[in-house]
Amino acid sequence: MGINPVTGVAGREEKGENTLHHNLVRFTHILRHLGMRVSMAETLDAYRALTLVDLKSREKVKAALRAVLVKKAPDRQIFDLAFERFFVPPEDKEQQYLLRRQQEEKERQRLAKAREKLEQVLSPWSMEIKFNQEDIQTFVRMPLQEQKRLTDFIRRMRGNPVNSPGELIARVMQSALNYWRYYLLKTQGEEARRQLEAELTGETELDDVISGVAADFYRDPDDQLLYQDMQHIGLAEVEKYTLTLERLSRHLANRLSRRYRQSSRRQKLDMRRTIRRNIAYGGSPLKLCYRSRRRHKLRLILICDVSASMARYARFILQFIYGLSNAVQYIESFVFSEDMERITPHFRKNEDFVTVMTDLVNASQQWGKTTDFNTALKTFHVQWGNLLTADTLVIIVSDTKTITPREAARELAALREKVRDILWLNPVPARQWSNLPGVEVFLPHVRMFECYSLHQLESILHQQLLK
Amino acid sequence: MDLTIESLQERLETQGYICDQDLVLTLYLSLKLAKPLLVEGAPGVGKTEVAKALAGALNTDLIRLQCYEGLDENRALYEWNYQRQLLKIEIARGTCEPSALEKDLFDMEYLLERPLLKAIRADKRVVLLIDEIDKTDPEFEAFLFELLSDFQVSIPELGTIKARQIPAVVLTSNGERELSDGLKRRCIYLYIDYPTVEKEARILQVKVPQARKELVYQVVQAVNFIRSQLNLKKKPSIAETLDWARALVAMHADALTPEIVGQTLNLILKNRDDQEMLKREIGLRGLVEKSLGTKGDEGTCCQCIHHHR
Repeated sequence: MGINPVTGVAGREEKGENTLHHNLVRFTHILRHLGMRVSMAETLDAYRALTLVDLKSREKVKAALRAVLVKKAPDRQIFDLAFERFFVPPEDKEQQYLLRRQQEEKERQRLAKAREKLEQVLSPWSMEIKFNQEDIQTFVRMPLQEQKRLTDFIRRMRGNPVNSPGELIARVMQSALNYWRYYLLKTQGEEARRQLEAELTGETELDDVISGVAADFYRDPDDQLLYQDMQHIGLAEVEKYTLTLERLSRHLANRLSRRYRQSSRRQKLDMRRTIRRNIAYGGSPLKLCYRSRRRHKLRLILICDVSASMARYARFILQFIYGLSNAVQYIESFVFSEDMERITPHFRKNEDFVTVMTDLVNASQQWGKTTDFNTALKTFHVQWGNLLTADTLVIIVSDTKTITPREAARELAALREKVRDILWLNPVPARQWSNLPGVEVFLPHVRMFECYSLHQLESILHQQLLK
Repeated sequence: MDLTIESLQERLETQGYICDQDLVLTLYLSLKLAKPLLVEGAPGVGKTEVAKALAGALNTDLIRLQCYEGLDENRALYEWNYQRQLLKIEIARGTCEPSALEKDLFDMEYLLERPLLKAIRADKRVVLLIDEIDKTDPEFEAFLFELLSDFQVSIPELGTIKARQIPAVVLTSNGERELSDGLKRRCIYLYIDYPTVEKEARILQVKVPQARKELVYQVVQAVNFIRSQLNLKKKPSIAETLDWARALVAMHADALTPEIVGQTLNLILKNRDDQEMLKREIGLRGLVEKSLGTKGDEGTCCQCIHHHR
């Protein structure tokens, strides 16, 4: 952006785009889109903080903004990355702006060429197919050999003597582009943005910073383990993961088993004890006695899917629940794939968890098979129906991929009537639930949570068990 | 009092609190913006010490509220002195106008001040430490909102009591549970990490001046190695490093040896599994060798922690 020949002021300055207020607001906007919670009150505090430090010292400005805007330890890294990318010298910013314009122009030309190429391939039916901008972008981002494969395939279809080749070609083209859009999203940056819960704003300058932060973002190795999909925990990390798991479950167990000291205001007066205690004072109620209510410890039933796709999740989740056994009065654990099996006796051997799991996997008939939740639930009702009480919380861990999901849903409804609640921990990311028929039929009877990482597991159980 | 960042750092250091620029700036902003400071970090990194050092630096009193599960406003804010009120009723029975008596009974005289009320009724600016806020219930956190944002409390019988002097409030949390957004929004945030080798050496030199420089260097190198390289159930805190150094001084040790490390290992690793892991992974001799690491090693190690955290 150039200098205005009349005013002699750089364009951005002239528009008031390079003021402290403006930059601060844009910066907080970026942080929000990177998943950080920054309220208006905090933005105002940030402004006040900046008036108290030397604005010429980059380090002091950074420290001041960090103190006011960051409220969680893991957000510090996001803040640092965003700060380094956003607060750059004006000349660098101008340079970045010019570079971006050049890239945009190049991209525009690439898209125009791709549109032309697609229309050529599809001619004479190109008019019937309406490509949107996203389709064209997907085509451009596809690897060259894949572009060629697709266009060759479409060319071959032109000789196909079907009634309406235009419609068929359009459908093939659309589904190929949909597949590639999903694939590219998954592999290029989407994963990083998902971890950050980052969203783009639609404004190029801000999105550059957001994408840059998402690309550079990495978690502290310890934190990373918490957020990592359990399925992707490598052999080398299992030991460390197990330690983290133990720590978190011990932590939760401590909170679950803690005796509450209720406020005396919330309790009921125990008149009998109060009178007896105050006889010595002539009956004047000088010292009051209260009735305290005992807290019932939870009863838990854990039902874990150990079919081929679920075995790894089951191993870690079982261990987490096992860690709670000293805090929860009663835990019964089951595994299922083609049928249900009770595994509680394995957990009562007082051996370390790894040995228990090894014995369990060797003895079990269910590990790594296909899933029939309906049969498994039927067996559960017949053999262990007596375990179900009104104060029992059932936790089901499964990806909902089962044969006969509708029948299974009926069994699940029957189970729901007998227990306090059913929590369903689903390792499939929530955005893919619409593709799973099981989710739709099970959802009316359970509370389902996305749960593929230790962080999610811990926070779900923390919230639900401590209610 | 005209406080500057530099003068605050000097004052904190005279209190024996070694801190970096970021920490001082955060404290300074919290004082200047009159906002509570929320300090998070692993146990034993010096969160509570911030409040103590601040009270010393500002030459004022420290009022401490230790939080626990079930803590309520009776223990934190105020309580009516029920027994005294009862005695007053007994004494005044038949001799006093009931309405005047009732008015009398809910006077400041019968109010038992707990730490929060004490802090806002203090004549001079005090430091209020609300320690381990994560141990309280979410309801108590919500109860604190009025105090932390407006520095006032409401007592139904007396009305609203505003702070005479806005206290410097320091809240600490070990991250046992996630604090509410409402509470965080009202605070300036500070995360204290395990110190770098250089910083921990400076802390040791100030707190255990009897320890020889070589011993200090060895101790911090060893602790740094244990924290950064071993998957422990509990990493040693600064307080434990200090205890270890003091114990070594008491045993007249000039340098770490496998024998002396073996005798004092329980001061830094307070879990049997952790002790076993150290012996298995590197051994006592190995730890001593690591503690003698070169300056180059030291830099890499400390950067590694800083970078990852």
